[in-house]
Amino acid sequence: MFAGLFGKREVLLPVTLLGLAAALGVSVMSLSTGDAGWGTQYASMFSFDKYAQSFTAVTLASVLLLAGMSSWGFRTLNSSLGDHYALILFSLCGAVCMFSFTNLVMLFIGIEILSIPLYVLAGSRRDDLASNEAALKYFLMGAFATGILLFGMTLVYGSTGTFNTAAIGAAVERGVASPGMLKMGILLLVVGLSFKVSAVPFHFWAPDVYQGSPNTVTAFMATAVKTAGFAAFYRLFSTSFLGVNEFWSIGVAAIAGLTMTLSNFTAIFQTEFKRMMAYSSISHAGYLMMAILVAGQPGSAGAILLYMLTYSIATICAFSAYIVVAEPNGDGSFAAFNGLSKKQPLVALVMALSMLSLAGIPPLAGFFGKYFLFSTVMQQYPWLVVIAVINSAVSVYYYLKVIIAMYFTKEENTYEVLIPSSIRWVMVAGVVIITLLTVLPGNIFGLI
Amino acid sequence: MSFLLIIVPLIASALLLLARPSGVRQIALAVGVVNFAISIFAAYSALYDGTVNHETNIAWIEQAGIRFSVGMDGIGILMILLTNLLTPLIILSSQSQRIDNEPRYYGLVLMMVAALNGVFLATDGMLFYIFYELALIPIYFICAIWGGENRIRVTLKFFIYTFVGSLFMLVSLLYLYLKTPGSHSFAWTDLVNVQLSTMEAIWVMLGFFFAFAVKMPVFPFHTWQPDTYVTSPTGGTMLLSGIMLKMGVYGAIRWMVPMTPEAWHTLTPYFMVLAVTGIVYASIIAVKQSDLKRLIAYSSIAHVGLIAAGVMAWNKMGLQGSLIQMLNHGINVVGLFFVVDLIERRLGTRTLRQMGGIAKVAPRFAVLFMIIMLGAVAVPLTNGFPGEFLLLNGVWQYNNWLGAVAGLTIIFGAVYMLRAYGMAMFGETNAETAEFTDLDGRETAVLGIIAALVLVLGFFPNIILQLTDGTVNRILGSVQF
Repeated sequence: MFAGLFGKREVLLPVTLLGLAAALGVSVMSLSTGDAGWGTQYASMFSFDKYAQSFTAVTLASVLLLAGMSSWGFRTLNSSLGDHYALILFSLCGAVCMFSFTNLVMLFIGIEILSIPLYVLAGSRRDDLASNEAALKYFLMGAFATGILLFGMTLVYGSTGTFNTAAIGAAVERGVASPGMLKMGILLLVVGLSFKVSAVPFHFWAPDVYQGSPNTVTAFMATAVKTAGFAAFYRLFSTSFLGVNEFWSIGVAAIAGLTMTLSNFTAIFQTEFKRMMAYSSISHAGYLMMAILVAGQPGSAGAILLYMLTYSIATICAFSAYIVVAEPNGDGSFAAFNGLSKKQPLVALVMALSMLSLAGIPPLAGFFGKYFLFSTVMQQYPWLVVIAVINSAVSVYYYLKVIIAMYFTKEENTYEVLIPSSIRWVMVAGVVIITLLTVLPGNIFGLI
Repeated sequence: MSFLLIIVPLIASALLLLARPSGVRQIALAVGVVNFAISIFAAYSALYDGTVNHETNIAWIEQAGIRFSVGMDGIGILMILLTNLLTPLIILSSQSQRIDNEPRYYGLVLMMVAALNGVFLATDGMLFYIFYELALIPIYFICAIWGGENRIRVTLKFFIYTFVGSLFMLVSLLYLYLKTPGSHSFAWTDLVNVQLSTMEAIWVMLGFFFAFAVKMPVFPFHTWQPDTYVTSPTGGTMLLSGIMLKMGVYGAIRWMVPMTPEAWHTLTPYFMVLAVTGIVYASIIAVKQSDLKRLIAYSSIAHVGLIAAGVMAWNKMGLQGSLIQMLNHGINVVGLFFVVDLIERRLGTRTLRQMGGIAKVAPRFAVLFMIIMLGAVAVPLTNGFPGEFLLLNGVWQYNNWLGAVAGLTIIFGAVYMLRAYGMAMFGETNAETAEFTDLDGRETAVLGIIAALVLVLGFFPNIILQLTDGTVNRILGSVQF
C-alpha cells in the first residue's frame, strides 16, 4: 500500500509474493518441527495451535496462487493497485484471526477484518453496475449476518458469563442456568455463520455477488474466505458447543442436506460459467457442513483441511483458466470454451483437471477430499452421506459441460486465447499441487 | 514386477500427453509390446497353486488404511495376459487409419491400459476402486473426441451411468472397511474376513452388483452399451468390449461373491434370471440388426450374459468357463470390430444390405473373417467352444431349466453371425463392393494373429485352463456359504 503511495507499482507484486511466501514458510516450518504452536497469546485471545497453523498454511498457499493470478487479473487497475493488494492482505489477517481465536470477541473482530475489505473489493470496478450491485448486496447481507452473529454471542455470554471459548465449552458441559438463552444464542450463531459460508437458505447473496465481483476477487471469496468461514465454524463448535450437540446437530444436518441438493440442482441449469461456479461453491459448502456435525471426532478437522485445500486449488485453477478465456472476449458462457483444447491445450488441461477434481472423480485430489469427509461422517449420519453421494453424481453433469465444450464440441468460435506468463505459472503450480495431493493426500489429512 | 505393468504405460502416457514427442505410433506400440513381454515373463515365472505372485505392497495413505498392494494369482495372470495381448493389437489396428492429434489418442489409450492393469492387479479394495474409476476417464475422452454421430449425448450417458454404478460399489467397500477390526484396512484378505448378517450382505452385494452389472453390462443395465459401442471410434470400442467389460466379470469373481457369500443364496436366483433374460433378449435383437457394428454390440451383451450366469452359478465348470471365455471373447470381439472397421473404411457403410460379394474380391479377408466368425459362433475346435461348453455345463448344474434357456445362445449366435457373414461376403457384388481392396500388410498381420489365436486356443484350451485351475479350486474352497 505504501509502495503504491510512492508510485512504485512494479514492486507491489514482488513484495506481496515475498511476504506471503515468507509467512507460508514460517507456518510450514513450525508445523514440520512439530512445534506445539506458540501457545496462548495476548491475554488468551489467540492460540496458534496446530489447527490454526495448518489452516493458515493452506490459506496462504491459495492466496499465493491468487496473487500470482492477480498480476494479470488486476492489469487494468492503475492508481488503486496498491489498495487492492492491501485489502486482500488485510482480509487475510482477518482469516488468520478466525483460525486461531480462543475468544468470541476475537472471532467477531476476525470476521469483520475479513469482511470489510471484501465489501470494497467486490465493488472495485466502480464503473460497472454489476460490481456495484455485488458490493451493496454483499455489504447489506454481511452487515445483517454480523448483527445476528453479535446477537448470538451476546446471548451465549449472557448464559455462560464468559467470552473464552474453552470456558464456554466447560460451562456448557456443566449445564447453564438459562439453557433457553444459550440455545437461542447457538441458533443465532449457526444462522450468522451460515450466511458467511453461504449455506442454504442463507445463500441468496452468493450467486449475484460472485458474478458481479471482479474475477480475481470472486476466486478469493470462493476459496480463502470460505476456508476461513468453515475453519472458524468448526473451531467454535468443536470447542464450545459439543455439550449440547444434539440440539444443533439436527439443524446443521438439515442445512447440509438442503444446501447440497438445492445448489446442485440449480447449477445444472446455469449457462454462465461463473454462476455455475457460484452454485458449485455453495454445494461444496453443503458437503463441508457435514464435517461440523461430527466436530470433535478424530479425523474430522483433517477432513475439512484436506477438502478445503483440494477445493481451493481446483477452484483457483478453474478461475485462472476462466479469466484468460472470458475476460479478453467478454463472454462468460460455456460456449466461450468451445474448441479450447485445440487452441490452448494447457488451459484446457488445467480446466479439465480442476473440473474432474471438483466433481470428485478418482483418482484426482478432490476424490480424496470427499472420501475422507464422507467416511468420517458415515458412521453417525449414513443417510446424509447417501444424499451427498447422490449429489456428487449430479454434480458430475455440470462439471462435464465445460469439458464437453472444450474437447468435444466441433463448433468453433473466433475467440483468441493467450496465456500471460504469470497465469501460466499459476496453472503449472496448480497442476503440480493437484498431482501431489492425488499421490499423497494422507500427508495433509494427518497434519492436525 | 506387477507394478511395472502399471507404471510403464502411465509414464509413457504422461510423456505422450504432455511432451507430444514425434514417433508417437512407434512409442505406443513399443510400450504395448514391452508390457506384453513383461506379462509373459510374469506368467512364466509364477506359481499356479492359487497364491499371489510378484507382490508389491507399500504404504500409501496410511490414515485411511489404503496400501498400494498389487500382485497376481492365476486369475490375475489370465486377465493381465488378455489386456496386454490385446493392447498391441488394438494399437496396431488403430494405426491403419489417420487419427487427429495422435499424441493425445495414444496417450489416452496407454493411460487406459495402465488403469486396466491396475484393476486386475490390485489386492487392496480402495486401490481397485481407484483404478476402476481411472479407467473411465481416458475411455470417455477417447469415445467423445473421436466418436461419430451423437457422441456427446451418448458418452455422457455412458459416463454418468457407470460413474453412478461405481459409487454404489464405493459405499459397499466403505461399509466393509468400517467393519474390519482394529485400525481399519482395505486389504482384500481383511475385507474378505468380515462377517456380515444376511441382510447387511444383501445390501453390500447389491452395491457391488450394480457397479459390475452396469460395466458388463447385464440386462436391464445395458442401455448405454449399444449406442456407445456404435458411436465410439474402433479403438475405443475394442477397449470397451475386449477388456473393459471384463472388469465387471473379474470384479464379481474377485470381490463381489467372496466378500458377501452370506447373500449368495438369496440373490443368485435373481441375478441368474437377469443374466439369462439378457442372453435371449440381446440375441433376438441381434438377429434383427441391419447395422453390423450394432449387431456385434448386441452379440456381446448375449455372450457376457452367459459369462455372468457362469460366474453366479459359482461352481468349478462355471468359473473355469467364464475365465477362459473372457479371454476368448476378448480376442474374438476385437477381431470382429476390426472387421467392421475395415469394411466401413472401404465401403463407407456398415449396413449389411449394402454389402455382398466381398469374398469374391477379397479372398484373404474372407478367410480370416470366417475363422474369427466361427470362433464367435463357438464351433468346436475354435476358441469359443470350450468356454461356452463349460459355461453351459456350469449353469446346467445350477439349474437345468436355466441351462437349457442359456443354451439358446449358441443357436441364436449361429443364426445372426452366419446371416451377417452371408449378407456381407457372399452373393452378388455391387458397384461399391466390387472396388473392395484386399487386406494390406498391417491389416493382415492383425487379423492373422487373431485368427491364429482362435485356432490355437481352440485346439489347446488346456493352456488357459491350467493357468486358472489352482486359483479357482482355492477360491471355491475358501468361500463358504
